[in-house]
Amino acid sequence: MNFFDCNAFFGLPSLRPLMPVATAENLLTEMDRAGVEKALVWHIAQHDGAPRVGNQLLAEAIAPHPRLMGCWTVLPNQAHEFPAPDELFQQMQAARVAALRVFPNAHKFLLNAVSMGELLEAMVARRVPLFVSVKRGITWHDVYNLLAEFPDLVCVICDHGCWGEDRMFRPLLERYPNVYVDTAQYLLDGGIESLVADYGPRRVLFGSGFPESYFGGMMMALKHAQISDEAKALIASGNLERIIGEVLSADLAD
Amino acid sequence: MIGNSVLAREFWENGKSAACPIYDMHGHMGDFHSIYFPRGDTAAMIRTMDECGVRILVFSHHTALFSPDLANTRSVEAVRQFPDRLRAYCAINPNYPEIVEREVASFAGLFPDVYVGFKFLSDYHQIALTDDRYRPAWEYADARGLLVLAHTWGGSRFDGEDVVRQVAERYPNVKFLLGHSCHGAWDAAVQLARDFPNVYLELTAVFDDRGVIEKFVREAGSERMLFGTDLPWFDPHHAVGVLLNADISDDDRHNICHRNAERLLTPLMAEKWRVSRSSATVSPPPPSAATD
Repeated sequence: MNFFDCNAFFGLPSLRPLMPVATAENLLTEMDRAGVEKALVWHIAQHDGAPRVGNQLLAEAIAPHPRLMGCWTVLPNQAHEFPAPDELFQQMQAARVAALRVFPNAHKFLLNAVSMGELLEAMVARRVPLFVSVKRGITWHDVYNLLAEFPDLVCVICDHGCWGEDRMFRPLLERYPNVYVDTAQYLLDGGIESLVADYGPRRVLFGSGFPESYFGGMMMALKHAQISDEAKALIASGNLERIIGEVLSADLAD
Repeated sequence: MIGNSVLAREFWENGKSAACPIYDMHGHMGDFHSIYFPRGDTAAMIRTMDECGVRILVFSHHTALFSPDLANTRSVEAVRQFPDRLRAYCAINPNYPEIVEREVASFAGLFPDVYVGFKFLSDYHQIALTDDRYRPAWEYADARGLLVLAHTWGGSRFDGEDVVRQVAERYPNVKFLLGHSCHGAWDAAVQLARDFPNVYLELTAVFDDRGVIEKFVREAGSERMLFGTDLPWFDPHHAVGVLLNADISDDDRHNICHRNAERLLTPLMAEKWRVSRSSATVSPPPPSAATD
């Protein structure tokens, strides 16, 4: 089983954790130790520092490492802090960045059409995935409102928590065909097999939450989930390959 | 594969290890209002235990914690249904002293075939561990060297590290299991384990915080750590995967998964169970029973 992690970061957080993972090279060492082949990664400075600073650090760090794909952070663009969508997407492809993240609460904006309509419409048109983290900077109300406005958005809901969030994300899986959930913090006993039984294996992505969580926890849970080997392969890597493969190979400019 | 050790290879391939059974010291059972459990009933939990190599689960039924009308009745029923796989904590809700009195009085008749200790859930019941309303259970447990599993959470005025220290000093004979290890107050948890030989660090919800396992092993010692999952909340395979991926030794993993719990439970368990455990160790389940 090949593992392609959709939810890992590196870099030094502003508050020191117990076991920081400072560099892309450190991350790769831990991936090798755990048996994770590839990862879609972001840099913690995108959240703790500033998106443009973190995005640049990320691009520079992953450039020499083809096993790492990037996920940049964006903001509302009324102040022209970012290029227009077409140019942004071209820069993403050049930097092997395949998805975007937002942290609306931490970065003080509303994730909706008024604030970010132009970019979100362009992401829908080009199927660029948006990753959101319930643990870090977005509420379920935000997610529900976002998808009501952009029902075709490819949206990956990460870090949805270990204390029982099925009643939050299952309605979204039912309503919106391009919504996915990752496995980071989805510790629920029997949770993966229940999701696969109800929604099929194509709506769940392996995500570790590393370095705040261990790679091995959800790897072991997925390896021994009571689902087919084909379903495990899709969750471990196939679904993410499909989603970001479209982005990395497509002509994203208008 | 998530590690290179003997245990890592065996667990990764088979989902469990004959040489390293798991004693899950922190479980629950049944429905709870704010979460959907795919495997919340007794039979489904036993199935999970079989798949993960969990030899025994010590638990308190959700109704024992949150439905005073039922108190511990469903815990007792479940243990009687699976006496070789389950033991219960007698759950104490101090909001009802009259029920506490009744449940403590019933303990002797249910020990050790059903109960091995008490369970306190102070953050939820909103009464501090030091409150007099727990006293009948604390004193009963202290006089007999029983287990007490208390939910503990860093900074809590009900069961945070400062409160835990007071009761640890007051009841030195209790085998005091700090559920969730004063979650977040990791340095304080280590210090409590160092200061009180009867205090153990129970790992439910700790497994998802990378680095804490290594810290506890390094600073408190793996002899003071206990496996727990809140089952049916958390998948034991996740916890096992964390232990195998963490930078600790197989010896530490044996301590955490079973040796420490065996030392705690053996003096408390019925002779019948001890015989059953011995024979199971000699004759582990056949490979065909593995789940993968």
